[in-house]
Amino acid sequence: MQVRIIQLVGLGFTIAFAAFIIWIYVTEPRTFKEVTTGAEVAAGTYEVNQEEFNFALSLFRREQFRAARDEWQRADPAQRDARTQFYIAYAFYREGWGRVYFDQELFKQGVEAVNRAIALSSTSPLTIDDPDLQIHSAAELKVELDQGLERTWSDVNPLKVLRTRK
Amino acid sequence: MSQTNRSRNRALMDFVVLPFLFLTVALLGGLRISAESRAFIFVAPPLVTLLLAVLAMLLFVRGGLLRFHEWVRSDFPPLTNVAHIWMFVTIFFASAQAFNSVLPERGLFHWLFAFFFLWTLWNNQFSSFDARRLLRSVTILFGTAFVLKYLLLASLYSSEGGWLKRLAGTLLQGITVGTLDAPIFATVTGYIAFFTLALYVAGLILLAFAVNSESPAVTQTLVGEYRQLSAAERLAVREAILDEPRD
Repeated sequence: MQVRIIQLVGLGFTIAFAAFIIWIYVTEPRTFKEVTTGAEVAAGTYEVNQEEFNFALSLFRREQFRAARDEWQRADPAQRDARTQFYIAYAFYREGWGRVYFDQELFKQGVEAVNRAIALSSTSPLTIDDPDLQIHSAAELKVELDQGLERTWSDVNPLKVLRTRK
Repeated sequence: MSQTNRSRNRALMDFVVLPFLFLTVALLGGLRISAESRAFIFVAPPLVTLLLAVLAMLLFVRGGLLRFHEWVRSDFPPLTNVAHIWMFVTIFFASAQAFNSVLPERGLFHWLFAFFFLWTLWNNQFSSFDARRLLRSVTILFGTAFVLKYLLLASLYSSEGGWLKRLAGTLLQGITVGTLDAPIFATVTGYIAFFTLALYVAGLILLAFAVNSESPAVTQTLVGEYRQLSAAERLAVREAILDEPRD
């Protein structure tokens, strides 16, 4: 009977260990911190650091976009929070926006971030109720960023300097 | 009582210790540490290491280290059979990752090492082996590969070496038009690989001990079957055994 228990426990324990190894090789964490963050995500206990999020928001409102993005990335290291990813994309949009031209590299990164935000909120359309923003939904932000990446004849229109940043 | 303890210890060894040990090898075999950022890099086993692991498993079966027909039998309870098959699976992946840990990650040396492993394992398929000799052969094989990769090649590509070493590395790169290009990892990667290989060999040694502890039962079966033979057949068996060339 005891041998049977050892067999069962051994099998269960080693199968769990094998699952952990597969998970490690699939997620490829780079540090022990990423391992623990990943484990929190897998266990469903992952939460954004609210303090860092708020600090980043205050930086964003002072137009310190790069610093705000760094803080948001620290607040959401696993990139699992749709709201944070939306704000990161918005920071890329605002920093990359120019009256004469858009910074293509920043806009591309913005598209990646907004795509992450959309993917994370696949159950319902993502909308952010923030009165300081002029774009409230992830879909609108994505269109805005995509249009910034497109090359059209309207790019040479001199009247485009009159447009405003959202 | 001692019989109970023996079966309990045996179960612990077969169903907990050995699979855990081989899975640890599977985890650490692909782990490298970046020289610049000290970050983990997990290298999944390349396809060639799976092929090498298949050859190694065949060799283990031929050498008597794995006795598949004795460990998976129709008269065993299903759970025992499943646990034994699971152990074989862990040995397979541990073997693949052990090869992964001593194979250079890319470049010409990756294929050279893979070729020599394949050549050695393929040749060994046609040699006569017992578990002890097989263990020695496997230890030498991995030991040599470890020394070549983590001592010789690593020192050749090391940026911390003297000017002569760096000159030799650069010349080698130049002559081979960059085909010897290899990633540089932190020194701790070598320690991890050493620990991984030591664990792997230790697991195989434990497996050999488990096999040896079964031998009295095998001997008894053999003697029992021998006694059922006729006098002429017994004589033929004795002559065949005595005719066997000594190794």
